[in-house]
Amino acid sequence: MWSLINTVLPGSRAFQARFLLLGLALCVRQASLAQTAAPRPPDAVVAGTDFSISTTGSGKATFYLVGPSHSSKQQIERGQDMHINGDEAASAGRYLAILCSDTCQSASFYVTPDDRASLAFLAHPSRVPVREANAISGVVFSFDKFHNLVLTPLAVTFTLTADGRDLASRSVPTKDGVAWLRIRSGDAAGTIQLVASIGGLNVRRVVRQVASDPCNLRIKAQRTVRGIVVETEPVRDCSGNAVPDGTIVTFTKMDGAGKSTVDAPIKQGIARTQMMALPGAVISAASGVVMGNPIRLSE
Amino acid sequence: MKATIKQDLLLPFIATFAVMTISLLVGQSFPDEASPRMESNFSMAVPRTVEELTQRSITRDYGYAWESLDRALSSNSPGLLDAYFSGPAKTGLASAIASQEKTGIRSHYLKQSHKLEAVFYSPEGDVMELRDTAQYDLELVADGRTIQDEHAVLRYVVLMTPAADRWVIRQLQAVPRF
Repeated sequence: MWSLINTVLPGSRAFQARFLLLGLALCVRQASLAQTAAPRPPDAVVAGTDFSISTTGSGKATFYLVGPSHSSKQQIERGQDMHINGDEAASAGRYLAILCSDTCQSASFYVTPDDRASLAFLAHPSRVPVREANAISGVVFSFDKFHNLVLTPLAVTFTLTADGRDLASRSVPTKDGVAWLRIRSGDAAGTIQLVASIGGLNVRRVVRQVASDPCNLRIKAQRTVRGIVVETEPVRDCSGNAVPDGTIVTFTKMDGAGKSTVDAPIKQGIARTQMMALPGAVISAASGVVMGNPIRLSE
Repeated sequence: MKATIKQDLLLPFIATFAVMTISLLVGQSFPDEASPRMESNFSMAVPRTVEELTQRSITRDYGYAWESLDRALSSNSPGLLDAYFSGPAKTGLASAIASQEKTGIRSHYLKQSHKLEAVFYSPEGDVMELRDTAQYDLELVADGRTIQDEHAVLRYVVLMTPAADRWVIRQLQAVPRF
């Protein structure tokens, strides 16, 4: 019974010859497959460095290297190692090494960024009022010398300096290649620098801090032959910074003739105007949301 | 005689109508099978929330950018990159096209789908970083012969910046993992 369900090979010579031929064909096919084996790139390649891709087998073949910003083609002898120059793999990303003869075989590999070599530093705004929360922002991207974004975490130090003095400093690690911060503006008007540093790399951006809104607006009036001259005391913000020239101060006069207003720009820290007013008139001043002290003219 | 005159008048009319209909159909924008399939998620973006209009612009422009990338690399026409690429991304792709031209290679990015995720949107809204899990059929043809034909799943880190009326890609970098 057992012998019945086992395959019985015919013993003829013709069948044996055919069996041998089949075996030979299989061997030839295996050998052919070995010839078209895929190239073997290294596991890790850093952008801009030389490396080799090995091939196996024998005979002529065409080798292609296809990357994000470069592709090349050359005729090679199988079995030799392909030397790839660093400048052929300067862009980080996925590369394909393709070996073609009768058929094509390929292998992919990644080129990773080199060490950081430059910082792209965005700082905003270029002019900012003093004493404002989260008013200054800085964003840093780190790139290697081939403009590949460096994605490994790095510590970025942001420093706010004025006249060579450090006002504030904060260390922020990069995440996904970017580090950012928001920082309060300082108290004093003037030029400050926001510096971003990674290792020995420093990039600075200049931010101009300007006075904030006027604070404690005070006015005085003086009679002249041509009317009343009204002027402010030097206009300053709440930190004592002189409010920039050109800021408008609105003078308002109310008397028996009605209400009239005059807009006067600040010049050299003081806003001044001349108005006609009846005795008993009330004159006040305002700039932005700040009101000055009202003055009543004597009867 | 009357029937002949009618036919003489009717035939040019029908021909003109047919030509106009065909030209209208050609000009009409049917859903393009070659357009990338887009999915996007902006909920993870920090520190700034991405406005809805910006979300739509980014998704639309990123899709257009990949469409133009495919057209540029399959026809070796660097001019097609101008609309949606700038900076290092444009320089790199233009360089890829130049060397493709030298080696006789053309690349086709077919049946694209992109899964976009915004990870960073700058406080002033002037740069956005995204991650894209892209899938496409990559076909490389060299001297008329297909040398590579694969379904690729790739991860890209992308930097986009606003231009006059659109968002453009400044950095497009494939990474092994996020």
